[in-house]
Amino acid sequence: MKKRDDVLVGLVIAVAIIVAIIGSLWLARGGLSKGYALYAKFPWSAGLKQGQPVLLGGVNIGYVDEVDLRPDGTVLTTFRVGKQYHVPKGTTATVVPNGIFGDMAIALSPKGPNPESIPPNDTVPVGPSAPGIAQLTGKADSIASSMNAITTALQRELIAAGGVRDLRTTIAGMNRLVAQFSVIAAEQNRQMSATFASLRRVTSGVDSAKVDSTVKNFREASANLSALSADMKQTSLKLDSIIAKVSDGSGTVAKALNDPGAYNDVRSLIQHMDSLITDVKKNPKRYINVRVF
Amino acid sequence: MIEAVSSLFARIGERGYFMRDIVRAFGEPATYGRETIRQMRNIGVDSIPLAAIVAAFIGAVTAFQTRYQLFGGVQLSVVGLISRQSIVLELGPLLTGLVLTGRVGARITAEIGTMRVTEQIDALETLAYDPVAYLIVPRLVAAVVMLPILTILADAIGVGMAYLTAIVATDVTSSAFTEGLRLAFAPFQIVYSIIKATIFGAAIAFFCSYEGYTANVGAEGVGRSTAQAVVITSVAILVLDALTALLLAPYLQA
Repeated sequence: MKKRDDVLVGLVIAVAIIVAIIGSLWLARGGLSKGYALYAKFPWSAGLKQGQPVLLGGVNIGYVDEVDLRPDGTVLTTFRVGKQYHVPKGTTATVVPNGIFGDMAIALSPKGPNPESIPPNDTVPVGPSAPGIAQLTGKADSIASSMNAITTALQRELIAAGGVRDLRTTIAGMNRLVAQFSVIAAEQNRQMSATFASLRRVTSGVDSAKVDSTVKNFREASANLSALSADMKQTSLKLDSIIAKVSDGSGTVAKALNDPGAYNDVRSLIQHMDSLITDVKKNPKRYINVRVF
Repeated sequence: MIEAVSSLFARIGERGYFMRDIVRAFGEPATYGRETIRQMRNIGVDSIPLAAIVAAFIGAVTAFQTRYQLFGGVQLSVVGLISRQSIVLELGPLLTGLVLTGRVGARITAEIGTMRVTEQIDALETLAYDPVAYLIVPRLVAAVVMLPILTILADAIGVGMAYLTAIVATDVTSSAFTEGLRLAFAPFQIVYSIIKATIFGAAIAFFCSYEGYTANVGAEGVGRSTAQAVVITSVAILVLDALTALLLAPYLQA
């Protein structure tokens, strides 16, 4: 009986101690196998804690093991990655928010598949960090303050300086103007439709057959005119050649016109005729003997 | 008024004397050595089913209620984190202590009280046995050793049931729960749980033994002593819990 008590008590104590140790190890490291360590240097205030997940391409491959504050403005973060996972070379580490309550995770972003992987105990380069809730809140705050400034200015301009009242008067005046415009437009519209109606009447009065025959006559007249003008041209050509000949001096007319001898002959002839006519007038009886009986 | 205050100090002083007797009795390992193993069996091993049932239900309820306290948009790994912290830091040691006050503390008071009433303690003194070394020290050692053991088991069972409840009865996934379970864990949190359990074990054994050791004559005296022991021990455990939290909680941050 006493022996059995010893065994039972010893067994329970041993089991409890094993549970405590294995449970702590499992919680702290994710199992008895530690995995291999990788390091990354993040700036201060990255918000990292021991136990936060490490994601490679969105898959949980390990946990943050240790966060050590360095005096040079960085935290040296040790994280453990399961032995079955390999982190490709060219991967960068960033601290990303995990959920909306300020919890963080380390995201490893590989550039792509790479047969070479980062060896254990190496340092993963740190990539540009995504804006966290704190930065977003800060930005929202600055936006809110500028909104506030704008609102104050608007308040001053619109309400204190009577801008809204002016605006209202302007709108009222505009309203009146629009009403007048619409009266005018209605009047215009009426006249316009009357005009269109008379135009339509005139258009319907024109006989297209008559117009057609008129156009045809026009065409004929213009054809005749063009024939006439062709004749005129011919005539004028002939006239040209005649004038050319005249000025050449060839031909009768030209000779008559151009010979001064002929001119003198005609002139003396006319003088003789003249003297003869004078003589006849003076002594008609010499030349004219009219005997009636 | 003055009498009430002086009687309070008198009670504290009586317990101080009792504590001195216990410390002196540690010098006689031959008297309490064998008996300690028997008490460990009684106090520790036989209490495992009760502690396990309590821890299992506490774990299940904690996980389930935590899930339905969250509003939309909260990552569900929070369920794992809150379940672990509640069970390991508070509910595991505290409820184990309170439940054992009923099961173990009442039994200690009744046993020792009956021995006092039936003058067995006087007989031990006559036989030159130190009754404190033979009756009190084994129970105190057994409680101080076994309560942390029970608490470790209770923590493990509680967290295990929380995990099962979360993935079976709620929409929390296994990986989310595990992620929260590991978040911001520091081994000191387990140590904190063990420290609390050790203090509660000592409180149970000490207060219950004292009430039994000073029980009044008659069956009524034993009953009254037992009731008083359970009340005093329960209140003492809650006060000590608060004091431990005040002293040690600042070191819990991972």
